[in-house]
Amino acid sequence: MIRHALAEGWLLLRQRGAVSVVLALALAVPISLAGVGLSLHRWLGPVAAMSGQASVVAVLLHPRLDGEQRSNWISEEAKAHPEWVITEISREDLVERLERWFPYLEELVAGGDASLPPLVEIETTEPAGVAVLEGRSEVLAVGPRSSVQQLLGRVARGLAWVLAAMSGVLLTAAVLLASVWVHLELFRHADEISIMRLVGATEPTIRGPFLVAVAIPGAVAGGLSIVGSIVTVAGLSRLSTTLGLPAVTSGFEILALQAGAGLLLPLAAAAITLARHAADEFEG
Amino acid sequence: MIRLRNLSKDYERRKILRGIDLQVDAGEFVFLTGPSGAGKTTLLRLLYAAESPSAGEVWVAGRRLDELPRAQLPLLRRKIGVIFQDFKLLRRKNVLENITFALRIHGVAPREAQRRALQVLKRLGLHHRQTALPDALSGGEQQRVAIARALAYQPRLILADEPTGNLDADLASELLSLLCDINYQGATVLVATHDHALLESLPARTLVLHHGQIHYDGMWPP
Repeated sequence: MIRHALAEGWLLLRQRGAVSVVLALALAVPISLAGVGLSLHRWLGPVAAMSGQASVVAVLLHPRLDGEQRSNWISEEAKAHPEWVITEISREDLVERLERWFPYLEELVAGGDASLPPLVEIETTEPAGVAVLEGRSEVLAVGPRSSVQQLLGRVARGLAWVLAAMSGVLLTAAVLLASVWVHLELFRHADEISIMRLVGATEPTIRGPFLVAVAIPGAVAGGLSIVGSIVTVAGLSRLSTTLGLPAVTSGFEILALQAGAGLLLPLAAAAITLARHAADEFEG
Repeated sequence: MIRLRNLSKDYERRKILRGIDLQVDAGEFVFLTGPSGAGKTTLLRLLYAAESPSAGEVWVAGRRLDELPRAQLPLLRRKIGVIFQDFKLLRRKNVLENITFALRIHGVAPREAQRRALQVLKRLGLHHRQTALPDALSGGEQQRVAIARALAYQPRLILADEPTGNLDADLASELLSLLCDINYQGATVLVATHDHALLESLPARTLVLHHGQIHYDGMWPP
């Protein structure tokens, strides 16, 4: 039966050689693009993870607070916001930072420790939440609360989702293409299939050649989609490394998914269409 | 071999067959005749399970067809050789392949299938057309290929729907002699025809179908 399926399937393919090649190419395009989309989705993963990373917000306390008052304030805020990690920056550290970042404020820094407001840093995953400190009598100023890392991460995460959704849409397009292709092929051979049934052919004997006839172009489509996505990903990788970003890679699991999609989508479409055809015939 | 009990078939409220009771024993040769539209083809279609009855029972080779599991239908059809009125040949296969294909489906080895196909083609005077595609054949030649295919796998029951419709008198006579030979070897033969010459050339049990009912069941000529 396998030999019969292979021989008859090959005959079906030969009769529609050019069409099969075009269909294999047409199926390879959406699968290949889906593979590229998934590779980019994976590549954006570490950047997208930055959206949840903790960032540091600087808070200047009022200079009138003495050491004990500062300690009390820090422990009260730590108790009220257990998700915050509050660190007091030592005077020496603060002076060193100011000298390094703002050399033109030399006079202010040289003016003595008393004129410098105490600085604390709050490490949190929700920097916007530090805004609650604004307006408190102990607080002189709250530093910028927007995190570039988090913003980048959010953008990357959004982009990754868009790419994943796009890959899903492309794979769905591939499924539809495969089922339309198989449906048309079966429609062309409907009479032949009916005759085969009438002379006593079993369902595996009837379906085998059609499954072979779609599996071969499907496998070719899978192979072509792998080549297409490897070439595209290599181009994107060159671009990303030129920009100083990490290289984009395809990954074995994505390539295996492409090969599987190329082979299994037309096979599944053929199996479903043939089963429906058989049911219609039997009822008719 | 064939048993029908109170068999009826309707198409959109139109009664094609009405309460038919019939028994055909193994090894019988039976003609089924009647005017066009009497239900001959429908009756044959019910016998090879291309149709389901609206009511009643259809038994062929000891199996009740309307209750037969779908998976077993091909096995039953392999016991039946059907000569279709519209030939039902595979258009992309040549004459020889049309016959060997049917034999291969029945599990005959490729070499044996070829031998048997050539033998039956020779008998039907078609061996010189073995590589021709069906579309290149005349109506009569296509009919003979359909006959060759039905006879090649030596079925236990042969159902023939107007098998001489496209044949000249000599070929019709040759076909009848072929069907008689097969019947003599033990196969049951049921031939649907409205060809009176054919009916009169062989005294056999004849069923006359009229308005979906059997009006006469006996030897013909009466």
